[in-house]
Parts: sequence; C-alpha cells; structure tokens
Amino acid sequence: MPEAWFSALGEPLGKAEQAEIDAYLAGLGMSAAVHSVATWTEAAGICAQRADAWWQAEEAQRAPLERKAALDPADPEWLALNEELHGAAAVAAARAGCADAALIRVAAGAASYAAYQARLARAARAPADHPFLRKYALYCGGRWPLGVYEGRFAIF
Amino acid sequence: MSVYPTVKTLEEFRQQPEDYQNAVRKIVRSHALNELYGAQVFDEPAIGLAPTPYAKWLTCRVAMEEYHHHVRFKELAEQIGVKPEEMDAKHKRPLNIFEVPLEGWEQFCVIKMLGDLAEILQVEDLLHCSFVPLRNIARTTMPEEKFHAQFGLDFCIDLVETAEGRDRVQRAVNGFFPEAPKFFGASGSKNNEIYRKYGLKLRTNEEMRADYMARAKSTVEPLGITLPQA
Repeated sequence: MPEAWFSALGEPLGKAEQAEIDAYLAGLGMSAAVHSVATWTEAAGICAQRADAWWQAEEAQRAPLERKAALDPADPEWLALNEELHGAAAVAAARAGCADAALIRVAAGAASYAAYQARLARAARAPADHPFLRKYALYCGGRWPLGVYEGRFAIF
Repeated sequence: MSVYPTVKTLEEFRQQPEDYQNAVRKIVRSHALNELYGAQVFDEPAIGLAPTPYAKWLTCRVAMEEYHHHVRFKELAEQIGVKPEEMDAKHKRPLNIFEVPLEGWEQFCVIKMLGDLAEILQVEDLLHCSFVPLRNIARTTMPEEKFHAQFGLDFCIDLVETAEGRDRVQRAVNGFFPEAPKFFGASGSKNNEIYRKYGLKLRTNEEMRADYMARAKSTVEPLGITLPQA
C-alpha cells in the first residue's frame, strides 16, 4: 500500500489524525495538548529539548514486546525501508528550503525507529490499537510526530 | 465532511457498502485517466516548447511527476477493481480542459499556473479522505502539484516582464480559463453528495469552484493579467 512519508508536514490535522493522536497518547498513559508544528526550523528547536517522560513511556511499551519477538536487523526489506525514509525526509526538507543534513537524519531516524516499533508490535502479535501502530500510522500518513515536550504533543 | 470510519486497508475497503466502493473507484479512475492524458497532451509535448535548457529540465521533471501520478493512481485503481480500459482515453473521455490543443510555451505556463491550481483544489479535498490508501496518494501527490503550479506562475512572472510577453500570457489565459470552472463538475452533483456522505471529499462542487475562482484571481492579478468571463 502507498505510504505518504513526510508529505503532509505542516498541513492542518484532520479529525481522523486527531483521533489517532488521542488513542496513541492514551495507549502510553499520557495526556497532552496537541501542538501543530509549522516549519522545519520549529521542529529542529523542539527536537533539541528533552522529552524524558514520553521516552520512558515508549520504552515501557518496547521492553515487553522485545521479550516476545525479535527482528532481523539485516532484513533487506528493512534496510530498503530505511533508505526510502531518508530519501523522503530529504526531499520534503529540500522542498521546504531546509538543507540541514543533521535534521534530515533526525527526521528519517525517528521514522525508522517508529517503523521498528511497529514491526516489533506486529511480530509480538500486539493488538491493532497498540500505541506503536498508532504512531506509525501517523508517519505513514505523511506526518512527523515529534513527541511530548513540556506537556504538549508536538507533531509536524 | 461526514464522520465516516477510516478505511485503512484493501480488506476493509472490500467490506464497505457497494456505493462506497464505487465512489472510491470513480475518484481513483478519474485521477488515473486524467493524470495520464494531461501528461500526454500537455506536459510531454511542452518539453519541446521550453525555450531554454533550464526550462526543459524543469518541464521534464513536471512531465515525469505527472506520469508518476498516473502510475500511483493506476496501481491503486487496479487493486480496487477498476478495469484497465476505464483508465484509457481511447475508451473513456478525459476532462474537457484537455481539449484545448497545446500550441505554445506561454500557453503551457498558463495551464500549469491555473490548471494545476484546479488540481491542487481537487487533491486538497482528498487529504483527509476516509480511504487511507487514497489519502496517502493525495498527500504524496500534493507537494508535486504545488511545484507544478509554482512552475507555471514563476515562468509567467518572467514572461509578463515585457508588454509582448504580457499580451501572450493574457491571450493564453483568455483561451484556457473559460473552460476551467467545468473542471469541478456540475452544481448539485449526486456523485459529490455521495463523496461527502462517505467522507471521501470535503466540499461541494460549487464551493470548490468558488474557491478556485477566488484563488485564480489572486494568482493572476499581481501579474497585471485579468480573468475573462468563465
């Protein structure tokens, strides 16, 4: 199925996406207002901050999944996906006039990690509403969910 | 837009009411057919009309992307059961805006500036559609459609720097624009009603047409160009 990697950055959120975000945060046991990020520059500023509570909430989800399943890091399909994600992030950044190679790698890396989390959830036969699958759906729809910073869920 | 449940996969698509499936097929088929026909009659021939190597390079990119839009929509069309002949202009009539023969570079630039603006409006309406595979194609397509419209605008800005260039752009607008509002379909359209019922589209044809007229006007006015009566 087609994915829209990084194609909807800065576009207004739809109702279905709002619902996906609410369900993702609820799945992590977090509550946060949604902050729509408008530019790559703003995203860069947010990424530079710490987001410990959000990170720990995701890690708490990851650990039990990794006890149930393991993925092959050299799977050719997985490696190809990582290349595709980096290419898509670079194209999206270039279109917006952003030439920050480090930030592009941050975006692609965040998508790669979300893809890993989603694949892990599927391999561990987690339910379809697992927060990792919710977050990955946002990436597939062209978004970059940045995380929860200072009580706000930032999404580009 | 009505709140219709999100349809995430082909399996879920096949479980939807027949009306829903047919509505999606109509939208996807129309995009597959018209993206191909537009690339064939406008974008690919325009490479030969482009006046400089730089303009040819950009026009090649536009043509490549328009063909790619067709490929994307066609792949989805095949997956949801659209017959190949329904995406072939030999069997199915493309949109009326493609009936104007392409005769010059200025005309192509105007088609990109105003024709792709119309396409942007159509794709905007799909960015939040209930069928996720179609939504994702729309989202992937949108930045490229914006580039095409900007391409047209940028070259028109260059052209109107001289009085002769402005006259040529104005003539091209006069030739193209009267047909453009038909791009949005009939007023009171039953198809559009179904699209909105199922959360596939946001707006009525009338709303989209009115938005297009306003955006077209604000696009050309800074160039000293006027829109003829549509």
